[in-house]
Amino acid sequence: MRVALEGRVLSENDRVAARLREGLMESGTLSLNFIGSPGAGKTAFLEKTLELLPHDLRIALLTGDIQTENDAIRLAKYGFPVKQICTGGACHLDARMVEKHVADWPLAELDLLLIENIGNLVCPTSYDLGEDGKVVILSVAEGEDKPLKYPGIFRKAELMILTKTDLLPYVPFQLEMAKQYARAVNPLIEIVETSATTGAGFGQWLAWLASRMETKRECCDSAIAEVRKVMAC
Amino acid sequence: MHEMGVADSILQAVDKELLRYPGRRAVKVSVKIGNLAGVDRESLHFCFDSMVKGTTWEPLELDVQPAAGDELDFSALELEEI
Ligand SMILES: Nc1nc2c(ncn2[C@@H]2O[C@H](COP(=O)(O)OP(=O)(O)OP(=O)(O)O)[C@@H](O)[C@H]2O)c(=O)[nH]1
Ligand SMILES: [Mg+2]
Repeated sequence: MRVALEGRVLSENDRVAARLREGLMESGTLSLNFIGSPGAGKTAFLEKTLELLPHDLRIALLTGDIQTENDAIRLAKYGFPVKQICTGGACHLDARMVEKHVADWPLAELDLLLIENIGNLVCPTSYDLGEDGKVVILSVAEGEDKPLKYPGIFRKAELMILTKTDLLPYVPFQLEMAKQYARAVNPLIEIVETSATTGAGFGQWLAWLASRMETKRECCDSAIAEVRKVMAC
Repeated sequence: MHEMGVADSILQAVDKELLRYPGRRAVKVSVKIGNLAGVDRESLHFCFDSMVKGTTWEPLELDVQPAAGDELDFSALELEEI
């Protein structure tokens, strides 16, 4: 006897992610999931971002690693709440880990939730964390062919941060090829070139971030207005 | 690398479905996996087989069907009378 089996294999993760997304929608909090290889410069990128963002912005960060609190210690220096998620072996963050770690944060009071995923270009791609968008971080020391070798993440990401551009004089990296490859797998991907060391490109990245935060807030405001209108009827 | 988790999710779904068919056991579960799903088929088979071996799930087999994009969906379950 053969019966049809329906649904997604990771439906349990999707269910939790949907719950997270709903919470973040109510509060108008923008949530971004940063994915890149080990050592791509995810933490350095976030450190520079925290250094430059206004200190009254209500930000919280989660950072995932298999072991150590190192990244949380680095990110905590900027005065925003940070939590380390140690997976102990798992190669990706999942929605349940995120839900557990944000449980005692007042989400409604947050403008921005930044999540640094485990260093890995493959596995984190499959797990929805309830985020508004995925950002892929590719450093110029990794080779321009990565978008072709790991198309999944480049296809799902909204934004590609090409980082460590200060190293361009020292590594044979064809910047234009990297961008072309990324656009070949995802024609809509936006690309910003940055260096966490020199701060180059951060103006453009922060403008992107500000505009995404504004869109999210407007979206939520109009959704709330819609609900109020229905309730008033 | 996360194939263990995927295999575990598949087995949980099989267990849940079996509750609806008392007196039967599952012999084959089919899933559809796209090339962009980020799941390595061989590794998934390996994880699945090691989780099933020597347990009450035996002789359950995993059947992977090709699919488009990042699809990672269930497809069918084959049952037999115990
Ligand atoms: N030259 C240069 N080095 C950088 C830049 N960003 C990061 N690095 C260096 O790259 C190394 C790795 O940076 P991290 O920020 O720890 O990378 P990560 O992606 O967070 O690494 P994991 O969390 O371990 O996966 C460190 O030695 C950084 O100092 C950059 O823009 N330019
Ligand atoms: Mg890091």
